[in-house]
Parts: sequence; structure tokens; C-alpha cells
Amino acid sequence: MDWATILDIVLKFVAITIAFTVVLLIVAYTVLAERRVLAFIQGRLGPNRVGYGGMLQPFADLLKFILKEDIVPDKSTRFIYFLAPVIATMAALMTMIVYPFGPETYIPFIGTIPLSIARFDVALLYVLGVTSVGVYGIMLAGWSSNNKYSLMGGLRSSAQMISYELALGLSLIGVILLAGTLDLQKIVEMQSSWHGFRWFIFLQPLGFVIYLIAAIAETNRVPFDLPEAETELVAGFHTEYSAMKFALFFLAEYINMFTVSMLATTLFLGGWNVPFAEDLFGRGTFLFGLVGVIGFLLKVIFFLFLYIWLRGTLPRFRFDQLMNFGWKFLLPVALLNIFLTATLVILLT
Amino acid sequence: MLVLLFILFAGLAIGCAIAVVAQRNPLYCAISLIGVFVSLACLYVMLAAPFIAAVQVIVYAGAIMVLVVFVIMLLNVEQEERRRSRLGFLVPVAVVLAAILIAEATFIIWFVDRSPVKPLSNVSDTGLTSSIGSALFTKYLLPFEITSILLLMAIVGAMTLARRIKEIPPGGAVVPGAQVLPLHMFDPTIALDDTRAVAAHGSNEVAEVMGVPDDHDPTKRD
Repeated sequence: MDWATILDIVLKFVAITIAFTVVLLIVAYTVLAERRVLAFIQGRLGPNRVGYGGMLQPFADLLKFILKEDIVPDKSTRFIYFLAPVIATMAALMTMIVYPFGPETYIPFIGTIPLSIARFDVALLYVLGVTSVGVYGIMLAGWSSNNKYSLMGGLRSSAQMISYELALGLSLIGVILLAGTLDLQKIVEMQSSWHGFRWFIFLQPLGFVIYLIAAIAETNRVPFDLPEAETELVAGFHTEYSAMKFALFFLAEYINMFTVSMLATTLFLGGWNVPFAEDLFGRGTFLFGLVGVIGFLLKVIFFLFLYIWLRGTLPRFRFDQLMNFGWKFLLPVALLNIFLTATLVILLT
Repeated sequence: MLVLLFILFAGLAIGCAIAVVAQRNPLYCAISLIGVFVSLACLYVMLAAPFIAAVQVIVYAGAIMVLVVFVIMLLNVEQEERRRSRLGFLVPVAVVLAAILIAEATFIIWFVDRSPVKPLSNVSDTGLTSSIGSALFTKYLLPFEITSILLLMAIVGAMTLARRIKEIPPGGAVVPGAQVLPLHMFDPTIALDDTRAVAAHGSNEVAEVMGVPDDHDPTKRD
């Protein structure tokens, strides 16, 4: 173990800590943003008392969650009841490591480093695999609460998630066909030319729309949030969870939203590519890296805003409409997209 | 370092596998099986096969075990009770067979260790996605296509089996959403006080049997 390896490991730990902190902060402020934006859409103001304009509200909520009484149902299966939010949050957080937050930049005192935590050959498959494991959190939560409403909510939610996982994966195959690789950093680098017109959203509009719809269904958000709607099954699979375990589920849902937005940004909106940054700053410099990271964050925030906007605007699907839509419409359209993309790729090369 | 990781993942896999067999609650068994699959995926990564590892997690841990957990939850499989063991004579047989298995495995490992053929290094090209992809579509194209037809046959077979109107066995469970009707409705020769039941999938089947027009439109709210 020489100094280079040790420095590498230390750097990775620092990167993981920074990413974890940033993700938690962004997710906490997304909750606040959702409450305020939803309020403005609905003609009211939202929480603006705590701190300037409500900026300290997430910390007040965190304090409330920590101090709340933790109620555990008597006849629940204890081990699984405690394990379920852990699985949900862990699967949500584990996908964070493969996203490229910025290009290779030169940071003073350290050298040129790529701005992502890990880089490996099958990054996109890894993301799909980890989100598949996240379904277990919801299923086990619904079952272990020993409550028939939770069980129904958990089963419906997991049936919805596994159905839309297929459409999600198939919509990404178009991007993989265009890029020729599963490595997310190479996919972002391929979208660098033509001043922003080579972003895959212009080359794959149908794939982008399918991905967005499937992603909203995967994260159980409106209009696909029947399993956890307040007026339907009490609160769905997290009815019997209180205080910190509920906070973990809540956190897992928003981190999933964030993850899915980051994947959309990386694959379709060009990741850290900002249209004229290369001409202004030159590759590999610190300013280019900074502009890239800020551009990435702005694109992700746009997707989060889109999620909140949809929540304020659309009514929700009934469960049989949801399943029909996923299996009978979205899956064939995703297959059609693959067929078209493959044909065009062969014809044009 | 690699040896430590191997011991960790292999130990986890063996521990979870023993838990699958030894647990009494079937859901704990299913979760332990998921643990086995994830440990195997980690072992695949150590063997320079990242694609197989990712596909193992997606297919086995993410799809097949979801199906198994669904079945356990829907059918409400109960905890096993401790039963009096009635097959005491099989224990020495099991010990002898296990000893034979361990002897075989030791012999194989010792023999491979002594052979002059050098094993491939840990860094190889075979496990990369591009190598697997090109092999699947050139050298192994026929098995690939036949496997996909096999899977299609399985799906069609499952759908066909699930669609028939059939009698519910005593103590059997019904899929939520099916209609449960007396057998007399389908076969008028059966006596009226025969309480055996039949499951029909959908109001159109029921309407067809009862001879009434089916004007239930599922797209309109009732």
C-alpha cells in the first residue's frame, strides 16, 4: 500500500462524504421547494415563517422527526419492519456513485481528477439493478406492518414499480445504441459537440418522453401515486411507520426522485455539458469544471421542478388504468423506439 | 486483500444459504436467498465479470425473488412448525454423503493446484459487456434466439393456464379480482346444494355463462 493508493482511498472517502452531504441537503430543500411551489400553484403561500422565506424549515422538520414518539405495531414482524426502510434508503443512496458531476478538472494541490466517485464498465446496468432492489423496501414494509391497507398499498406499489421498470430499461436502450457503451462518463462526453445540439434529447425525443413517464411511475409520484395517496389506502405501505422510519421512507422517495433526475440529465440533457463553455474556458481548467458542475445542478433542479409542477397540475391514475398504460402502451412504444433507433443507426453508419 | 474480500463474500453467501434452509418463517428464507444472490454478484465482480454481476442482480434478485416474495405474501404461507423427526435413519446417510462430497471437492482443488496449466489472470477481456455482446450475436446466436423463444413459450403457457375456468380445490386461494361462483352455474347437471366453487376471470365470462348481455364497460365508472 503506497502513498498513491492511500491518497486515492482518502479522496474517495472525501468524495463520498461530500456527495452524501450535498444529496441530503438538496433533498431536504426539495421538500421545502415542493411545499412552497405547490402552494404557489394552489394560490397560497406555503411555509415561510421559519427562517427567511422558510429556509430553515427542513431543519425544523428534522428536529420534529427525531423527537417524535416511535410507535411499533405489536404484531408486526420486527426484523423485517426495521429492515424495510433501511433497504429503501440504501438502494436510493447507492446509485449516487456512478454519476459524473463534472468533467476532469484541475483542482489546485490535488491535480487533475474526474468529478465522479466511481467509474466502471457497466454503470447503467448497476443503476437499473440497484433500483430493482429498492422495490423490496416497499414490499416488505407493506407486509410487515400487519395491516391489510399497508399490504394492499405495498403490493400495488411494487407491482407498479416492477411494471414500469421494464419500460424504463427499454427506453434507455435507445441511448445505449446511440452511445455504444454503458459507461455514463463516456455517454456524457459523447454529447459534447455541436454546441448542445448533440444532447440525446434531440436525437431520441421518444425515448426521453418514455423515460420521463416511466421514471415518474418508478418513484411513485403524481400522477402515479395511487399506492400512497392520502385519500386511498390511508398512507399506503408506510401507514404504520412513525418518526424516523417514516422520515427514512420519505427521504428514500425524494432521493429516488433526485437519482432519476440525475440519470435523465446525464443521458438526455448532456450531463455537465454547457453549450458554449468549451470556447470560453478551455477543457480541463478549474472554471470549466465549475461551470460544468453548476450546469449539471441546474439541469437536475429543472427536473425536480418538473416533478413538483406535475404534482400540482395532474390528477392521479386509477390502478387498473396505470397498469394498462404501463403494459399495453408504454412497453410497445419503447420497443418501437428501439426498433426505429436501431434501423436509423444502421442506415446512417 | 482479494483473499479477505473473497472470504467475506463467500462466508456471507454460505451463511445466507444456511439461513434459507434453517429459517422457519418463509419470508426470512426469501430475504436470505436475496442475500445469497447479492453475495454471488459480488463474487462475480471479483472474477472480472461485471456484466454477469449486474445481470444477476437485475434478473435474480430484482425480478425472480420479487415474484417469490409476492407469492409468499399473497398466499400467506405460514410458519413451519417443529415436527417430530421421523426419518432418523437418514442422518448417518447424510453424514456419509457429505463426507464423500467434501473429499471430492478437496481432491479436485488439490489436483488443479498441481496441474501445469496456468489459470487466467484476473484481468481478462471476456467479462466485458462488449465481448459478451459480440459473442452472443455471432458465435452463440442460435442458442440466444432459441432461449428467447423458450421464454416466450413459458409466458404464453402461464397465461393460458391461468385463464381457464376451473374448480377451486378445497382450501385453495383465489387471485384477488376473480369471481367465485357455484359449480351449478356452469354445469346444470350438478345438484344445487353442491357447494364446490369455480373461479371465473371477469364479468364477460360470467355473463356468457349466465346468458345475459354483457354491458359492463370497464372504461366508464360504475
